[in-house]
Amino acid sequence: MRQKRSEIYSVELSGTKDIVRTDQGDDKEKYRGLKNNCLERKKKNQEEDFQKELQLDDHKLNNRELEKKYGTNIIMGLSSTRAAELLARDGPNSLTPPKQTPEIVKFLKQMVGGFSILLWVGAFLCWIAYGIQYSSDKSASLNNVYLGSVLVLVVILTGVFAYYQEAKSTNIMSSFNKMIPQQALVIRDSEKKTIPAEQLVVGDIVEVKGGDQIPADIRVLSSQGCRVDNSSLTGESEPQPRSSEFTHENPLETKNICFYSTTCLEASTSPIGTVTGMVINTGDRTIIGHIASLASGVGNEKTPIAIEIEHFVHIVAGVAVSIGILFFIIAVSMKYRVLDSLIFLIGIIVANVPEGLLGTVTVTLSLTAKRMAKKNCLVKNLEAVETLGSTSIICSDKTGTLTQNRMTVAHLWFDNQIFVADTSEDHSNQVFDQSSSTWASLSKIITLCNRAEFKPGQENVPIMKKAVIGDASETALLKFSEVLLGDVMEIRKRNRKVVEIPFNSTNKFQLSIHETDDPHDKRFLMVMKGAPERILEKCSTIMINGEEHPLDKSTAKTFHTAYMELGGLGERVLGFCHLYLPADEFPETYSFDIDAMNFPTSNLCFVGLLSMIDPPRSTVPDAVTKCRSAGIKVIMVTGDHPITAKAIAKSVGIISANSETVEDIAHRLNIPVEQVNQRDAKAAIVTGMELKDMSLEQLDEILANYQEIVFARTSPQQKLIIVEGCQRQDAVVAVTGDGVNDSPALKKADIGIAMGIAGSDAAKNAADMVLLDDNFASIVTGVEEGRLIFDNLKKTIAYTLTKNIAELCPFLIYIIAGLPLPIGTITILFIDLGTDIIPSIALAYEKAESDIMNRKPRHKKKDRLVNKPLAVYSYLHIGLMQALGAFLVYFTVYAQEGFLPHTLINLRVEWENDNVNDLEDHYGQEWTRYQREYLEWTGYTAFFVGILVQQIADLIIRKTRRNSIFQQGLFRNKVIWVGIASQIIIGLILSYGLGSVTALNFTMLRAQYWFVAVPHAILIWVYDEVRKLFIRLYPGSWWDKNMYY
Amino acid sequence: MTKNEKKSLNQCLAEWKLFIYNPTTGEFLGRTAKSWGLILLFYLVFYGFLAALFSFTMWVMLQTLNDEVPKYRDQIPSPGLMVFPKPVTALEYTFSVSDPTSYAGYIADLKKFLKPYTLEEQKNLTTCPDGALFEQKGPVYVACQFPLLLLQACSGMSDPDFGYSKGKPCILVKMNRIIGLKPEGVPRIDCVLKNEDQTNITTYPHNGMIDLKYFPYYGKKLHVGYLQPLVAVQVTLAPSSAEKEVTVECKIDGSPNLKSQDDRDKFLGRVMFKITAHA
Repeated sequence: MRQKRSEIYSVELSGTKDIVRTDQGDDKEKYRGLKNNCLERKKKNQEEDFQKELQLDDHKLNNRELEKKYGTNIIMGLSSTRAAELLARDGPNSLTPPKQTPEIVKFLKQMVGGFSILLWVGAFLCWIAYGIQYSSDKSASLNNVYLGSVLVLVVILTGVFAYYQEAKSTNIMSSFNKMIPQQALVIRDSEKKTIPAEQLVVGDIVEVKGGDQIPADIRVLSSQGCRVDNSSLTGESEPQPRSSEFTHENPLETKNICFYSTTCLEASTSPIGTVTGMVINTGDRTIIGHIASLASGVGNEKTPIAIEIEHFVHIVAGVAVSIGILFFIIAVSMKYRVLDSLIFLIGIIVANVPEGLLGTVTVTLSLTAKRMAKKNCLVKNLEAVETLGSTSIICSDKTGTLTQNRMTVAHLWFDNQIFVADTSEDHSNQVFDQSSSTWASLSKIITLCNRAEFKPGQENVPIMKKAVIGDASETALLKFSEVLLGDVMEIRKRNRKVVEIPFNSTNKFQLSIHETDDPHDKRFLMVMKGAPERILEKCSTIMINGEEHPLDKSTAKTFHTAYMELGGLGERVLGFCHLYLPADEFPETYSFDIDAMNFPTSNLCFVGLLSMIDPPRSTVPDAVTKCRSAGIKVIMVTGDHPITAKAIAKSVGIISANSETVEDIAHRLNIPVEQVNQRDAKAAIVTGMELKDMSLEQLDEILANYQEIVFARTSPQQKLIIVEGCQRQDAVVAVTGDGVNDSPALKKADIGIAMGIAGSDAAKNAADMVLLDDNFASIVTGVEEGRLIFDNLKKTIAYTLTKNIAELCPFLIYIIAGLPLPIGTITILFIDLGTDIIPSIALAYEKAESDIMNRKPRHKKKDRLVNKPLAVYSYLHIGLMQALGAFLVYFTVYAQEGFLPHTLINLRVEWENDNVNDLEDHYGQEWTRYQREYLEWTGYTAFFVGILVQQIADLIIRKTRRNSIFQQGLFRNKVIWVGIASQIIIGLILSYGLGSVTALNFTMLRAQYWFVAVPHAILIWVYDEVRKLFIRLYPGSWWDKNMYY
Repeated sequence: MTKNEKKSLNQCLAEWKLFIYNPTTGEFLGRTAKSWGLILLFYLVFYGFLAALFSFTMWVMLQTLNDEVPKYRDQIPSPGLMVFPKPVTALEYTFSVSDPTSYAGYIADLKKFLKPYTLEEQKNLTTCPDGALFEQKGPVYVACQFPLLLLQACSGMSDPDFGYSKGKPCILVKMNRIIGLKPEGVPRIDCVLKNEDQTNITTYPHNGMIDLKYFPYYGKKLHVGYLQPLVAVQVTLAPSSAEKEVTVECKIDGSPNLKSQDDRDKFLGRVMFKITAHA
């Protein structure tokens, strides 16, 4: 089995579809979807189909074979009829949008999720009870019908609310989904036509200009200076040249294939980059299409908070159902009628279910989501708000996420010295020594030997944001010099270009000859840049401190050291040299001829080296450090080359300064890699090729043993394997990425985070969260918010659960001891959905108790949202105290009206008998049924007020779990006080405002009864302070273990 | 790998067994004996404390009460009416004139109810002046006599069957006791037939009068032997046909502070009952 799995995972892109069969099944399975592939025959067929299609060998065929294969003609193109046939066969050339769950299904899911089922059962029991009553007595009271309807209303309202919240957060994203319709230039019936890209079919001959998107997977037939940006597919920042030559077995690497949705870059060279190619795959069958369907095939993982809430719902529902059934049996065996027992059951269910809680959780999450949106973290899926908080591993893509996705000058070497250039986003802080006259020469070469230009009309745009015509490295040089020297165009104007030789891959250099801006100097200046070793070959002197020195062995050696050092940093190095052409040989009127090369190209003067890299975003290193201190492992997963990956990893701190890889140790000790003790290395760099040959255990071992890991040259499905590997370690995995190639991993991750500006639509769609400003540091904010919300949800739930006991006890006492019912079902609903709502939301505004960023992420399986101490403490400690306090108010009301506590015991049958209208109280007074009922409602109100007053104390104690309230500050969270005020106001309105509406079962309560439970409330507060004090005093003690939730 | 396979029933059972008793750690239901001891001790102390506290607060609350008069009487401002004999099901009396067993229960109930009103029981009670409230200052409160003779035909003295055997059943109507209630005006119980036919209705004492001397009531503890005034309603069913069904409604009349019209409380100052007599 295991063997098989690794096989499946080791295939490259051609095996994409193998993983598609993942998890529609049982989500409890850890190795989801990896197992059941052989079971599902249907899927397997599909799989075979895909494999057949992905036998991509078109790059190996020559033009004739291609024509034959696709039945087309390179010159004439397809005929329209043939194209129409193919279109009918293959369907349009567009990606099938991922299947959306129908809105009605989403809505219905909300109706039956969580506690809803329990409430539905309650409602139906109510109606059944009424049905039984009605069949025996036509005048049966409609109370049960009302109660049933109210329960259904509660379910529907909370369902609608949750649905609305979900829809709201989904809507934010739909704006990202808009795709601009694309046009393609195609040759059909020997004519060039522009048609919508959707109508392209296999065999079409298309022409793509620079700046356009490649409309389908195409096999390049001819290309002129075309480069494509594959960064979203492979993670390479550098544009890849494309030509018709077959250069590599792997279709992803070969030069003669362009992929759907990548961009053909504009080149500054004329003629502008154009490419002609044959469409070989369309729509979902393109590489991008496969990745997209790979992503949509990966089922969304249940978010940790969803799992926690489910766990919590199970606990509460379990308690409700078991107590309900237990007391149903007790009631029946106590000779209660089955119908009555049924009504008790409803009461117990309603009392036990915190009806308002799930709504509260939703509100709490959306409040946090809003807060995060303000910090440019857009949360698509509300539940994902918490996920970042429990994240223990972040798998980050490199290009565009950790880096700026833009080549930038990082280092310079001149005067035998390496200088560091500022690579931050705005280049503002260039501190290297610019006084040397070597720099003056170097800067001149950089400025002049450059064909890149700013696009016009961008005067007010900051330099770094200006759009440039030219390739990536020239752009970098242009911006670099613009920042350092000012107006580059002006400098170029002053040093008029006489002639130039553009860069090409055979020369490996670029050369231009200029007039100088010194009117007295009539010499021409020849400047040259290119691959350092080629440049050095052409030089005989080297400039040091502005003076030319002969290039001897030792200087050549320092050059090589510097070159190797910069290259080792994963940077692309360029060499620069110049030569002043002697005025006597080359007078002003000299006519240069680039074909005849009638000027010297050797014995030049070497000036310096300059290296470029796609630099890390400036906020990243700090964010990585913060993640580290928060116990989060940051892993880099990139499609880029290992050297570059390692360099970036080192510079952002993913590999810390003092840790070494096995290779580093081997290099340092000068021993073969095999002899190095694996345990000595803290960091590991694993390439896709190595990953391919690894079994899942080996991967697990690497993930478990190394603290600092970089995965390089990985394919999209390898990213998926890595994410799954992390998840097998019971980690909650966050994946950040921007490219199409990240989208499957983004989806598979517990939380996928896409970049808002740089990110591709596919990535944004697959992600749960979008960083609008592409700022990796926002993740840290997200972690903080997520941890806070988890803590606060704990508090909210503890607060909400507490009063359930106070609501439940009355029913139990009522059944066992036969007291008049202390609190009615409707009244309970008024607490759960009325007075308690705002306070429990207010707890979401509570500040963190201690520095939550210095503790480890919670363990998915051990640190539950609702754990045993929380339930026990809420139910059996505070809940019980509350129940006692509320009973005190209840007994007080009855006693002061004439029914002393002892007279109430076993009074239930007479009390509720409609024909007894002269029930005698302790003092000999006689009560009619209605008078008793009214007193019962007063009792409800009293019990309600008792709970309400103690819930205020409960709310205050729940502000902290460990610290004293006075440490936390009683008034720091103002919203808590809004909550308390709302509680009291709603209570007052119910009792005094609506006291006359009999259906609500509230009466006007004497003012003093509001204070009866106050001593109990104070007791709750004091007790909890004592609990917290002992927890702080004796950490790890028996008390701590049993009382800290 | 086994981890992710669905647990078989056996494994499940084994896990449960291990949970109930784990021989290696000596854990029973997830806790060791010592741990159980500690937790039980804790809850014993904690709940003991709570129980003591609750008892104390209840005791304090009971101290606020007066043993003779309830603290508040606002919830029963006006008395309800109730009838005797106490019907088994919703106020309906069904009997057969010719079958004594059918009404034996009613008669027994009436006799039992009238027991305190017999002469022997009343001999220690005071004869109070008629027609005025009998207010007392204490400390000893006396109860007024209610001579059974006032009920005439329904007193049970002349007719031990209370008229049931003659098709003239007696129903006693009583006003609920309320401490301190002082009726104004001239209260009387007025009974009418709902479905007017050949039956007629007589109330005793004459006109259903309730004498004010029985008010106010001072409570069970102070007002020992208090007898509440009664009104008897005798319905004379026409001796003719086989089955009779009459509905009688009685309500308090003549006293402005005793309510008899309340939408929700059907027994506040009124009572309605049905008599069904078979031949």
